[in-house]
Amino acid sequence: MSQKDVIFKEIFDKNSKKIFHLCYGYTGDKDAANDLLQETFLKVWQNLDKFRNKSLISTWIYRIAVNTCLTYLRSEKRQAKDELTDNIIENRIEEYSEKNEQVALLYKSISKLEENDRLIITMVLDELPYNEIAEISGISEGNLRVKIHRIKQKLTELYNQHARI
Amino acid sequence: MQEFDQIEALWAKHTVDVKISADEMLSQAKKEVSTLRNKSMLNIIGMVLSFLAVACLWFFNFQSWTTHLGISIIVLVVAVYTLILYNNHRIIAKNDITANPNQFLNSLKLYQLDRLSLYNKLYWFYTIALSLGMTFFFVEILNHMQIWAQITLIGISLGWMIFCSTLVRKAVIKRDKERIALLIEKFERISAQFNEQV
Repeated sequence: MSQKDVIFKEIFDKNSKKIFHLCYGYTGDKDAANDLLQETFLKVWQNLDKFRNKSLISTWIYRIAVNTCLTYLRSEKRQAKDELTDNIIENRIEEYSEKNEQVALLYKSISKLEENDRLIITMVLDELPYNEIAEISGISEGNLRVKIHRIKQKLTELYNQHARI
Repeated sequence: MQEFDQIEALWAKHTVDVKISADEMLSQAKKEVSTLRNKSMLNIIGMVLSFLAVACLWFFNFQSWTTHLGISIIVLVVAVYTLILYNNHRIIAKNDITANPNQFLNSLKLYQLDRLSLYNKLYWFYTIALSLGMTFFFVEILNHMQIWAQITLIGISLGWMIFCSTLVRKAVIKRDKERIALLIEKFERISAQFNEQV
């Protein structure tokens, strides 16, 4: 196994769960999140030689994941699938009811936020430092703090609304 | 009624199952990269072969200047098309997926707009030049054929061009336009969310 393979596997093991959270929060759909996760790591593999240690490797991977999520396109075909998926989610929520209904509701609430806000809040929930989130999203730290405050309020509101239904 | 710190606690406790393992991801990444490389290589080989095949026609002993002009135009069209394909490939490869999201989306938006205008203009250049090239080429060739062969060849060529200029063109442009419009609309919406005025 080459050095690149070893590094890639280590990177995947360390970061895949957090990147999955980001993709799941963005799409609100597990299958789509898995597709986005794979697309992200495919790009990581393709660009690994270009990584120059200017930032943390996790920051670099997050940036690739954010860009991959933002360019994720819901075509008509995908939208039709999404409508179907919404029904599946509804059914899944029922299945979850005994186990983990609250987590499913949380992902559903995140996916109702604006695209950029979904990505920021999943990074906040995964406890990334603010300076790292600012670097990943290309927003200044001062503005990010204000933005995060608003997103937290919005998410709490959405979650409570869904929880009441 | 929940507060945000309760949401944070819920998030911290939850676990997810990533369906794919590191080994599977590694082998998939390697496979996809080699598939992409092969596809791109096959595309270039195909275009070079077409270029050579048409250029080989010069070795036949054609008498009329129209035939040579026809071959030259077709060779030029194939060469220009190959260059545009190569250029497109280079622009996509240059797009930095690791750039900050706003920069990345802006460069992608510009690229998509360029591509839309290029494809619209390119289509007419391609069709007109190819039709012109074939018309010049057939002037001498048809003289050596029987009348039924002439009619069949002209019929097939005309039919193919009409089919491409109507059904195929409409479908391709419609699909591309919808896809790009959807992307641009999305880029604009997301760019607004990245606005510094929070």
